[in-house]
Amino acid sequence: MAANFWTSTHYKQLLDPEEVDVVQPADKEKGITVEDFKLIKMHMATYIWRLAPQVKVRQRVVATAITYMRRVYTRKSMSEYDPRLVAPTCLYLASKAEESTVQAKLLVFYSKKIPSDEKYRFDIKDILEMEMKILEALNYYLVVFHPYRSLAQFLQDAGQSDLTQFTWGLVNDTYKMDLILIHPPHLIALACIYIASVFKDRDTTAWFEELRVDMNVVKNISMEILDFYENHRMITEERISAAFNKLALKP
Amino acid sequence: MTELDLSKKVADRYLKREKLGEGTYGVVYKAIDTKTGQVVAIKKIRIGKQKEGVNFTALREIKLLKELKDPNIIELIDAFPHKGNLHLVFEFMETDLEAVIRDRNIFLSPADIKSYLQMTLKGLAVCHKKWVLHRDMKPNNLLIGPNGHLKLADFGLARIFGSPERRFTPQVFAPWYRAPELLFGAKQYGPAVDVWAAGCIFAELLLRRPFLQGSSDIDQLGKIFAAFGTPTSSQWPDLVCLPDYVEYQYVPAPLLRSLFPMASDDALDLLSKMFTYDPKSRISVQQALEHRYFTSAPLPTNPEKLPRPVPKRESVNPRVSEISSREGPTVLSPPRKSRRVMPEREGTEGSAYQSDKYGDHGNDKLGPEDTGGRSDQAPMSLDFSIFAARPPNRPTINSADRTHLKRKLDLEFQHPD
Repeated sequence: MAANFWTSTHYKQLLDPEEVDVVQPADKEKGITVEDFKLIKMHMATYIWRLAPQVKVRQRVVATAITYMRRVYTRKSMSEYDPRLVAPTCLYLASKAEESTVQAKLLVFYSKKIPSDEKYRFDIKDILEMEMKILEALNYYLVVFHPYRSLAQFLQDAGQSDLTQFTWGLVNDTYKMDLILIHPPHLIALACIYIASVFKDRDTTAWFEELRVDMNVVKNISMEILDFYENHRMITEERISAAFNKLALKP
Repeated sequence: MTELDLSKKVADRYLKREKLGEGTYGVVYKAIDTKTGQVVAIKKIRIGKQKEGVNFTALREIKLLKELKDPNIIELIDAFPHKGNLHLVFEFMETDLEAVIRDRNIFLSPADIKSYLQMTLKGLAVCHKKWVLHRDMKPNNLLIGPNGHLKLADFGLARIFGSPERRFTPQVFAPWYRAPELLFGAKQYGPAVDVWAAGCIFAELLLRRPFLQGSSDIDQLGKIFAAFGTPTSSQWPDLVCLPDYVEYQYVPAPLLRSLFPMASDDALDLLSKMFTYDPKSRISVQQALEHRYFTSAPLPTNPEKLPRPVPKRESVNPRVSEISSREGPTVLSPPRKSRRVMPEREGTEGSAYQSDKYGDHGNDKLGPEDTGGRSDQAPMSLDFSIFAARPPNRPTINSADRTHLKRKLDLEFQHPD
């Protein structure tokens, strides 16, 4: 873990789970439940993962973009900030903030190539307008830390570098949840290593003990991730479109 | 009176006053923050015509300044969109270190120099602690506030340097402040580049003129070698591996003392450590702050007591000395300064001190204008004849051309890895 996380705005902005799972009043009026809310965010996170390789950005940019999107919805409603526009705009803003700019026109071009309905089609103008609104919603805090770097360091330290690919995938999947808004990234990395070592029968107990981190927190995060995988099986296209349909209702 | 009528309240909070200047990415206004009564400078970020949204440089600055809150770093007080443009609100700064160094009416005592350097290094230490490279350290970017506090500003070139294997462009810093590894084309570099530039600023405080005024990258290296000798492989083992490395004819180093006859032994020792060739052995900012130079007598001057330029028009209550009357000596400044828009000084008390600082963003960033303006100026108080002995001028390198550089920088963004 980079030594500066504890003095970063990311650390200061970490939220309690109760603060994250709040459906904005405007969305609530349309009948959006916490489940719908999570579902839409998860769906849009997946959308960003799919859009990103087309415009050739690093994984870090994707992770930052999803974090931005999730932060936006802790403050703004989906009724006012259309998720289908917020998602590509967050990718656009994250590409700039992470120093690998993607042109807006490229993003617009490729978003049209991804098979999805016409509600996902936007113009450059829409993205640029939304960029400003997102910046404001983020309160201009743009630096985000991710579990990836500490993951690599931890695995090496634990002598489990062969688990890299597996744990890396787990970390990627955590962005389908709100963990990055709630926990320090290195604890998310540890939770993924914990899951991997349980799953692959590695004895890492002694190593974890020596770390002097709160193992209860790590275990809780791990449980959350496992719960997510469990629930993920029940998610169907129908449930997602039902949630979006509610959002489309006139209040 | 009329000015008050004309002033508009922006974002329900700021009373807009006179224009302070114009930079590459927007206009800067002075304003009053009605929430705090504080005088502020508002930078209006022009949205580019290329349809690329919020200016990239501005975004960098926002991103990093939100993380860096420190008495020795300019404060980004607020940001807001207004009529489709993004506005950044900064604390208002009276002047900058360049103006102090250039002002011939100002006498800088060794304690004053120590104080300015210490504040510079303190600000830089905060950046490095948070893994931020400033990459544009120069006196013009060190602003001085009403209470004499020096603050690092202009983070438009700054970057987070987290992972060691990341490659950056070596085309950063104004040429005179560029570390030798950058001049040799290094793409992997670290905080040591800021230390070199801070060393140049230290030297400039001592000499009252820019220390190493090269006219091109190659000439800049020539100037560096003339001052410190051609680096040997024992001094700098990695030198030969740098991308643009070429062998230079050996020049011995003159005694540092001969270049800075007035400096104390402690000052010279610190200076030589900041100018160490090998970036790996160059002193870190934190080590520099712990150097005995800062604890030995004379102690750094209290910022409030530091000499600052006297505001030109309203010298009713001159702060520094009586000598600076209106017919006072001409301050030689680079030609670009004349292009800056000066605040209109009618009436309001707050405009007593000009701050044209914000106006010159980008105009001077790596630009060749700098060189033209200053290089032939300085009346040398010291014997710099060794510099005259260097080989005849080599062809100027085009990399100092700003548009070319900008294109290079842009390219880097498109191919991140």
